[in-house]
Amino acid sequence: MVITAIVAVASLPHRRFDATYQFFLLMTAAGMQSVVVTTDLFTMFVSFEIVAIGVYVLIAWERTAQGLLASLKYLFLSSVGILFFLLGVFLVYRDLGTLSLLTITRGASASWTPRVAASAVAALCVGIGVRTAFVPFHTWLPEAHAWAPHPVSALLSGVLIKISFLAMVRIVVAFRAVALQPLFVWLGAITALVAVVWALAQHDAKRLLAFHSISQMGFILAAWGAADALAATAAYGHAVSHALFKALLFLVVGIAIERSGSRDVFRMRGVARGAPLLAVGLVVGAAAISGIPPMNGFVSKRLVSAAMYGSPAYLLLRIAAVGTVASFLKLSRVLLPAPRGEYAVADGRNAADGRQSGGVPTGMRLPVAEGAAVAVLLILVVGTGVVGPQLAGGAARLVGAPAEIPDVYRPSGLVDTVLTVGLGAILAALVLSPPGRRIGERISAVAPQLGTVLVFFVGGLVLFALVPLLAAG
Amino acid sequence: MMTQILTVLAFLLMALGVWGLMSRRHLIRIIIGFSLLDTGVHLLLVAFGYRSGGTAPILSDGIGVSGLVSGAVDPIPSALVLTAIVIGLAVTALMLSFAVRMYARTRSIYIDKNKELKW
Repeated sequence: MVITAIVAVASLPHRRFDATYQFFLLMTAAGMQSVVVTTDLFTMFVSFEIVAIGVYVLIAWERTAQGLLASLKYLFLSSVGILFFLLGVFLVYRDLGTLSLLTITRGASASWTPRVAASAVAALCVGIGVRTAFVPFHTWLPEAHAWAPHPVSALLSGVLIKISFLAMVRIVVAFRAVALQPLFVWLGAITALVAVVWALAQHDAKRLLAFHSISQMGFILAAWGAADALAATAAYGHAVSHALFKALLFLVVGIAIERSGSRDVFRMRGVARGAPLLAVGLVVGAAAISGIPPMNGFVSKRLVSAAMYGSPAYLLLRIAAVGTVASFLKLSRVLLPAPRGEYAVADGRNAADGRQSGGVPTGMRLPVAEGAAVAVLLILVVGTGVVGPQLAGGAARLVGAPAEIPDVYRPSGLVDTVLTVGLGAILAALVLSPPGRRIGERISAVAPQLGTVLVFFVGGLVLFALVPLLAAG
Repeated sequence: MMTQILTVLAFLLMALGVWGLMSRRHLIRIIIGFSLLDTGVHLLLVAFGYRSGGTAPILSDGIGVSGLVSGAVDPIPSALVLTAIVIGLAVTALMLSFAVRMYARTRSIYIDKNKELKW
């Protein structure tokens, strides 16, 4: 995770932003490191706020009205969330007299009354859950990620939500809140599915990507909730590969938006002309998130499937995977040469066409720094995919329980992938047809208000508190 | 006794703050609602650490460590709250500055006035 933070930061500074921008960027990065290494709940709270303040400023950096509003929305929601976290910290201190995660792990929570314990852990989890953006709390994310400057989106989506997920994992493990795990499976599966439906409905390229961040977080959460060594490995593996390929996608799409001057998937055309790297980046990123070999997304998604196999939530995840393929076929329309109304197929041939034919006057070359950042991420995405099984084995040993890593490059896995891609293509064709578009517009018009989100918030709190109590009887 | 009164007050403030966040459309009022919620949580923390008739947790002549343990206010919640207040201040300042910028951009302080922005 620490490495990912470094990667994302390294890919960022190649932009035309000034020193103040870099300051907030570094502040955010420092805060994230601190969240990960701290062993104290209150320090975690402070680190979260350091991260958050940096991020609020970064999101609103371009000072557009949308950016400001998105940042304000995030500001309100995550501040309220972090207040709940503080409340949880207070309950922990009142009853246990300690805030050290180490002391708590050693069994200090054994003497706790179940009711208080449940509400404290619920407050902590919901507080961080807002940052992690699984479904009831996700509403800030598409706005914030879509309107942030492009490299900031890459950082936000690639690393920030993983950091809060990691913090949540540490808290749940420290408090031994095992009863919450099935809840995580279901929340994760529902998150994956709902977010994909919304992603399919989007026209805005960056917002589409943002919804996919939520969806992929759902995959990670569900896999982690399955709670065996293989599942944990799959969750961490998917977290790392998602960080890499989503950073890549956001950078590429961001550059593409700048070059074509439009955010609409249906208007952006021929963006890759004069910059083959852009096309390769987009295709590789889309292939990785759809789980096509040999990208890292394929390896980690196979692991997630293997870990979840047989669970009822598995079905939801499969549908979500099909949806992912479909929406990236939709996104890859931007590679098509200028106006021709057919559906894109995500392969290099279209990119080549885009370079040759005439159209939008954007045939300029890619700046070196941006190109370098894209190339580094590209190599990482493919590289971690090719040696993925070996890496997963190593990760399993790090997690502590040596798990049996299934061979992901088996023929059955490949057949499975082909099936998913095929279904995805059909779905994409459906979504792009006129009735599909109308439904999509209806769906994307549904956006909860702040008040509704706060109601979700309290509901989530009650849910998190009740589930362990009910499980305990 | 003091602790109970403060606790009740704290929950009252928090409820008021949440209500303000949920029902208002005026940006400044939402921020005030958030401030109330913030203060409520801080008050709750302080209220717990407080001890009626307690002394300040400072070692001085005549009061030993044991005297402090039995007689002084628990210093940790106060220390935590001090940090939390500073953070709250920063966040509120940021919110207000964004609100000012929003007003400069859109000429409206009501968050749902602008239709193309989804709140």
